[in-house]
Amino acid sequence: MTQAELAAYVHSELEKAGIDLVLSGGAAVSIYTANKYQTRDVDLVATGFTTHTQIKRAMLALGFRNVGRHYEHPDSTWLVEFPSGPPHVGGEPIGPVEVINFATGKLHLISPTDCVKDRLSAYYHWQDRQSLEQARLVAESHVVDIAEVGRWSRSEGFEEEFVKIAPLFERPRR
Amino acid sequence: MLEPLLGSKSAERILIFLFAREEGYATEIARLFRTDLYGVQKKLDGLEAGGIVVSKKVGRTRLYTFNPRYPLLPELKALLQKAITFYPEKTTEPLLMNRRRPRRRGKPL
Repeated sequence: MTQAELAAYVHSELEKAGIDLVLSGGAAVSIYTANKYQTRDVDLVATGFTTHTQIKRAMLALGFRNVGRHYEHPDSTWLVEFPSGPPHVGGEPIGPVEVINFATGKLHLISPTDCVKDRLSAYYHWQDRQSLEQARLVAESHVVDIAEVGRWSRSEGFEEEFVKIAPLFERPRR
Repeated sequence: MLEPLLGSKSAERILIFLFAREEGYATEIARLFRTDLYGVQKKLDGLEAGGIVVSKKVGRTRLYTFNPRYPLLPELKALLQKAITFYPEKTTEPLLMNRRRPRRRGKPL
């Protein structure tokens, strides 16, 4: 099972248990960049009032085992984690989510625009250039609302930083 | 003051410490408040898992700070700023009046 298929499987099975999730983090980058960036982590964020006990019960029922804060399955190399919700980018909630269907189920994930914001947040706060490169890769292969990313960057107090990196996201003119 | 809201005395102490000092180790937090180290470490783990604090290894110790990406950080800091004004001086003085300027290694105190 690929990382995306596993994410879709967990997403769909937990949805049946009344737990609504959105894929965020590095796995969303992997999907949007067709694995140009790879991570072992599958970060699924609950959108509602869900407890860790509810999640644990549902995951154990699927054959996962709980190791610290993440879940592992004997038939998979991926690590599933449930960061605290609700999903957000910086100080704002996420926008409309994307929906992708796989053979293993349906997956809700943050939009390419929100994915870029999420990566830029790490770049802005920790000067993490890997995150900047991941943001650029997502924007290279998907339609990203760069004006909205600019607005959000200003709102987060990083207008100056955004102005410096904006040329990386300009699409070449034909 | 914040324990009823946070559900934990350790959480209050940790958050007040980090607000006052901007960063801290579990040992120094426990030492300042004369409380059990294990309880402080456990709560720091919980706060980190919740995205409120982040940590990095410095030498053999783990240094904690507020997570700048925590969406409610400005509001949390405003709450802590107000709360600290209610603490007695015997609590706030060691929190706020620790020496922060460098001192050359080997210079006698």
